[in-house]
Amino acid sequence: MFLITVFQLLCCACVILRQKDISAITIYTFLGYIAIEWVYMSLGTIITGHDYFELEAIGFFLSGIGLTVCASFNDAYAYKQLFAIILGLVTYLMVILLTKDVNIASKLRTPAAIGSVLILAANLVLAQSINGTLNWIDLGFFSIQPSELVKVTFIFVGAVSLEKLLSSTSLTKYLIFCIGCVGALFLMKDFGTALIFFFTFILIAFMRSGDIRTIFFVCTGALMCAVLVFYFKDHVAARFAAYRHVWEYMDTTGYQQSRALIYIASGGLFGLGLGEGHVRDIYAASTDMVFALIVEELGLIMGIAILLCFAGIAFFAIRASRTAGSTFYTIAAVSAAGMMLFQLSLNVFGITDLLPLTGVTLPFVSRGGSSMICSWGLLAYIRMASAPFVPPEADPRPLPIRRRPRTQRTARTTPRPVQPPMPSPPPIKRPMDRPDPVGRPQPPQNRTGRGGGAK
Amino acid sequence: MKITVRRAYVFYAVIVAFLAGVAILIADIALNGQEWVSNSANRHLYSRSNAVVSAGPVVDIRGTILAETKGEKRVYNEDAELRMAILHVMGDTHGFISTGTQNLYSDSLSGYNFVDGIYTLKKRGVGPELVINIDGEACKVAYEALGEFNGAVAVYNYKTGQLLCSVSKPTYDLVNKPDDVNTNPKYNGAYLDKVVSGLYTPGSIMKIVTAACAIENIPDIYERTFDCNGEYVVTEGQRGVICNADHKTGLTFQDAMNKSCNAVFAQIAIELGASKLKATAEAMGFNTELYAKEVRIKMSRYNPPSNDNLELGWAGIGQSTTLVNPCHFLSIMGAIANGGEGYAPDRIFALGGIAADKRELQVMVSINPETAKKLDALLRSNIKDEYGDDRFPDLEMCGKTGTAQITGATSHSWFVGYSQRDDLPLAVVCVAENAGSGMKTAVNVSNTVMQYFLENPIE
Repeated sequence: MFLITVFQLLCCACVILRQKDISAITIYTFLGYIAIEWVYMSLGTIITGHDYFELEAIGFFLSGIGLTVCASFNDAYAYKQLFAIILGLVTYLMVILLTKDVNIASKLRTPAAIGSVLILAANLVLAQSINGTLNWIDLGFFSIQPSELVKVTFIFVGAVSLEKLLSSTSLTKYLIFCIGCVGALFLMKDFGTALIFFFTFILIAFMRSGDIRTIFFVCTGALMCAVLVFYFKDHVAARFAAYRHVWEYMDTTGYQQSRALIYIASGGLFGLGLGEGHVRDIYAASTDMVFALIVEELGLIMGIAILLCFAGIAFFAIRASRTAGSTFYTIAAVSAAGMMLFQLSLNVFGITDLLPLTGVTLPFVSRGGSSMICSWGLLAYIRMASAPFVPPEADPRPLPIRRRPRTQRTARTTPRPVQPPMPSPPPIKRPMDRPDPVGRPQPPQNRTGRGGGAK
Repeated sequence: MKITVRRAYVFYAVIVAFLAGVAILIADIALNGQEWVSNSANRHLYSRSNAVVSAGPVVDIRGTILAETKGEKRVYNEDAELRMAILHVMGDTHGFISTGTQNLYSDSLSGYNFVDGIYTLKKRGVGPELVINIDGEACKVAYEALGEFNGAVAVYNYKTGQLLCSVSKPTYDLVNKPDDVNTNPKYNGAYLDKVVSGLYTPGSIMKIVTAACAIENIPDIYERTFDCNGEYVVTEGQRGVICNADHKTGLTFQDAMNKSCNAVFAQIAIELGASKLKATAEAMGFNTELYAKEVRIKMSRYNPPSNDNLELGWAGIGQSTTLVNPCHFLSIMGAIANGGEGYAPDRIFALGGIAADKRELQVMVSINPETAKKLDALLRSNIKDEYGDDRFPDLEMCGKTGTAQITGATSHSWFVGYSQRDDLPLAVVCVAENAGSGMKTAVNVSNTVMQYFLENPIE
């Protein structure tokens, strides 16, 4: 299968790359990271009784590249990034736990929504302006970017609201929430993130399309657009002046893009070697510009591999949504994947001048705790939609049967590349052999199509 | 639920759009990568003052290092006169001379390719070596021979297309660049490689083109005889086309060519008419954007008027609005010498150690082989019967002089020609600005450079 093949190749490359770094703390950081990966994979296998962790593997692979880039800067970046990955994983597990039960999840909706808006509001008050946007709160050790955290709740609230979209009050509340979020982001002048929220909003709205509400949604969306464009006319104009004209403005507004193109081309397919590039001297090299850095130093193939990873996640989300237990999971998975893909596009195509530069991060790879937490949080939705938990005996539908060959292939191939020190993967037990494990949601009869209209 | 799932499939469109974006990005890199890498903002290649630092060495055909990178600096050959002679073909590192090799081939000097990027350069510290066909010493000889005059001299091998000598004056020393190069009138055109970017009134060398047209369009041209009385009167009572001498009566076509008789060639041009003359000239590359390999050649212009016989007569002898480019005319000479196919003068011998035969021959000018053969005989007879072989000892030269009249200044001195010797398949073009008759300066400079190659053959 496409996904697995890509995954395998990438893990191999990843391991080789990791071994390139030779420095005391770096080695500990990397060993720690690899250990975390293996603990997670092993525990996951033991607890859930299945062994396909494609999503997590992709997440680990991408985070590993991010960690490598950070480590190539200095050790402080590296262990902070490792800490960020751990936080990301914790978030991932938390989101999985919280959304395991749709009923619990729907109870959490209102607090999550209010919390998100409060965070953004607090952000507006507390935040310091970094590079023209007001989206950072400094907590000493870590600066956090609340808008990143809100991305996770945004999807959560959206998916829950729309899943049980029967009363118009629910819809209205959701709309208010959306407008609140996007509005707050615009007040922070974080144009890129606002765009991402807006795109996700459209996507969520589309998932509900087919009735008058959709038209209402689209109208609201258009209205929001118009208002925002009007409000930010000057700002937007200044920002987009360099778009498709980076060579004319190459020492002013087109600086980052033109340098990104120069060095991306300089890197060739295989790169100049870690630490050999010049992108790292440019502002935001390890965050916004990280794609250019990776292509210059690790090669275009690596860059494309990263892009394909995200495409893989997106495909996975669609496949998973077919077997999802309820509309909530479907919407959450697709919109989470959409959000990730859109953010990725804004980042990668932004610095390469195919889209206007908006200054957003590359999920998983960019340095930064909030971004990492957000990425893993989003990944959790996609994981929840996939149905590896359904025991084949309990569910006679053809879907699990179709998934069988994939399971077997995964069992054979997955652990091999990531695990050089261990001679063989932990013993694999078929799901049917085991009782309901901890991580497993309710039996399928509670999770089938009726979820959509349960309330 | 089912509907929602089906809607999820629309998300495939988003993925496809994303993948399309990735494809566009890759295509963009593949198509434009070379240009991006060559950008002067690339710190792998350029220093902060935008000077080429990491580019590979440039070596001439005899192995002399003309420029190389040492540490963070671009170092040039020690010989100041050599540096001045090769300035234009070498080019500077700041791109003032746009047709210069260091500028034009900076991507080759960086060793860029799509697969490796500039990894080779990174690994070795400098880019790959660039061997050029130019013989630095020959340039110096030509530069000295031009003496006080400005102008252009170029020599190339008409069998292999190798451009061996290319000199343009005025010039300056790249290492000690004069402060007044932009203001002092004596440096007018110093940033121009006149061999490829210059345009001059051709004068009598244009009779070669008129002759070609006559050979192809007047069947009895060799049987005819012409009269000259020092002037060809087009309209009674008006001044006609003045001849350089009174060549009397009974001139054959060949006599007229040998003596470069303006009266006869004006007469022939008027008989041929503007459209035929123009057609022949355009077949030879006039009024056409030409490239000699990667180097853009300034377009030669030929627009004989169809409604003014006097102007047409002047155009037929290379005056009027006619302008030619030295490199283009060199290729025309190559075509005549080579039996019809005039290769583009190519200054590059080898890039990054790739063998020279990898450089493909490019036909820049084609002439009908029959016509070429007849022109060859005419040009040989010019030297043998008129100018005298003692002007080009041992060279078996063919050629034509030109004295291009300029309003308000001394004429430009032209010579175009080539050697028929099998061991010296070289064509030469020389234009010395405001140096008077072609028989003087241009012939002497051409002979000096050709003698140099005769004594110092290229291996």
